[in-house]
Amino acid sequence: MIVDVNAYLGHFAFRRLRHNTAAALLALMDAKKIDRAVVSSAGAITYRNTQAGNEEVAEEVRGHSDRLIPFAVINPFYAGWQDDLQICHEEFGMTGLRLYPKWHNYQLSSPCSRELVDATTERGMVISIPIRVEDNRQRSWLLNVPDVPLEETVELVKAHPRARFILLNGIGYTGCPLGRKDNGLPSNYAIELSRLSAVLANELGQLITNLGAERVMFGTGMPFNYPDPALVKLEVLDASEADKEKIRSQNAITWLRL
Amino acid sequence: MTILQTTLDSPQSQVRVSRRMLLRSSAAVVLGGIALPSARGVAVGQSAPVMSSGPQPKGKVIDCHAHLNHHSRSTWEADDRKLIEAADKLGIDQLCCSTLTPHWPATLDGFRECNQWTADGMRRFPGRVLGYCYVNPGYGREALEEIRRCVEEREFIGIKLYNEYTCTEPVVFPIVELAIELGVPILHHASHSHYFVEDQPHMSDGGHLAELARRYPEAMLICAHISGGGDWEWTIKALRHAPNVLLDTSGSVTDEGMVDTAAAVVGVDRLVFGCDSSMTAGVGKIRGANLSTQDKEKILGGNMMRLLRRRKS
Repeated sequence: MIVDVNAYLGHFAFRRLRHNTAAALLALMDAKKIDRAVVSSAGAITYRNTQAGNEEVAEEVRGHSDRLIPFAVINPFYAGWQDDLQICHEEFGMTGLRLYPKWHNYQLSSPCSRELVDATTERGMVISIPIRVEDNRQRSWLLNVPDVPLEETVELVKAHPRARFILLNGIGYTGCPLGRKDNGLPSNYAIELSRLSAVLANELGQLITNLGAERVMFGTGMPFNYPDPALVKLEVLDASEADKEKIRSQNAITWLRL
Repeated sequence: MTILQTTLDSPQSQVRVSRRMLLRSSAAVVLGGIALPSARGVAVGQSAPVMSSGPQPKGKVIDCHAHLNHHSRSTWEADDRKLIEAADKLGIDQLCCSTLTPHWPATLDGFRECNQWTADGMRRFPGRVLGYCYVNPGYGREALEEIRRCVEEREFIGIKLYNEYTCTEPVVFPIVELAIELGVPILHHASHSHYFVEDQPHMSDGGHLAELARRYPEAMLICAHISGGGDWEWTIKALRHAPNVLLDTSGSVTDEGMVDTAAAVVGVDRLVFGCDSSMTAGVGKIRGANLSTQDKEKILGGNMMRLLRRRKS
């Protein structure tokens, strides 16, 4: 079984996405033998009111709950986020969040953000943070959104030891405490592999050595990305089949209580 | 990993076995089930003809954009070996490599030294590493002499130009004219961002390469890493009407639809597979593209082979 913790539905403001409806994404998943995927709204990355994107995703995944696992996008500085969180969790059955602090222009260390993390944790939901949405060098002339500095996520995981975080679309973890052995951080975060190297520098292998295979999860970033590069990483990864199985699905099943 | 260690550290007989195993178990899978011929590029340690002459087996997988490591890097030798190991794992037969200076603009001694190391790499990994001669066009006659020496005496397969000059500047023209004379391609660093890239003020983009291609329609130009971070949709559209510019698919960006869009706009005959050190990204993009096996074979190596066969010396 393969579980992708990094997938999306809907439109992105700056580039046409294909395979971005539930039906089309499921067809792509079938073609790539990906069984289940965590999805959130691509539109909510740039919507002012992210709840509109959450509603679109809830509608889109209806009837596909066996394969598509919806996550909410919440901006803790937007009016009514507490209501949105409740609706997403209780009505839409969303079991996690995706946060975009740079796109939504807030600090992960801000009181509002901390309040959202605490409220999400109280609900037993997972918080995933895409470190980037797209390569900054291809950005639109309209904006300049930096990646989330990994140092800010270090402080976040330290400040919320009971919360559970999945870091998406990141790279360079071994250059900061997040990816180092015996780093003194709570083991409350997992790292998704879509941008990690699996050969040459082999950051993926280093993370397995340093943190354990239990802390690495499979993800593709589809339909922003071709799913194949992530699948290729798993194929060439120098790891035991047991460890690969953890990365492929078992860790996500445990964390997401699938 | 056992197989890789064997590939690099064992006698040739074991090398051949290992490589066959890899090709059966890895490449056919990794490259999306594309049938790879049995007569592959030569494994590490074997002597072999370089790409400059003679017929080449159909269906080779050629990374058109790779780099060997500068020797100021303490781990350069191990890192070069890792590149070949990665190519083994991913079913890549040959890598077209340049060695770049760590600082730009490159000095005369700097690029000569790099080209010497590239030549050394071709000897260390015969048949696997093909060399691009890297020069700074600002050195005029010396740059031209270096290219001629590398291509005619050292069997380099092409020229690598970086960001010292925008490719439409007249100082670059003699390089292009020599490339035409020798019948070798130029791989040109390029990117297009919608902001000024301060650390690369002379960056070329697809538009510049299209302009150069119009000036020299007989030149064989390769626009480097169309998924190397800039706006790849812009680059592809800028190159639509430049038939003598090929687009190198390398780069770390794995945006869904990139290869498909390039194929639709410029045609598969103008796409060449590359990684530029983003190995799984490079292979994965081609595997993910919704193209026929025949079209993928062209991109993976057929188109590059076609360019290399046009060599005149």
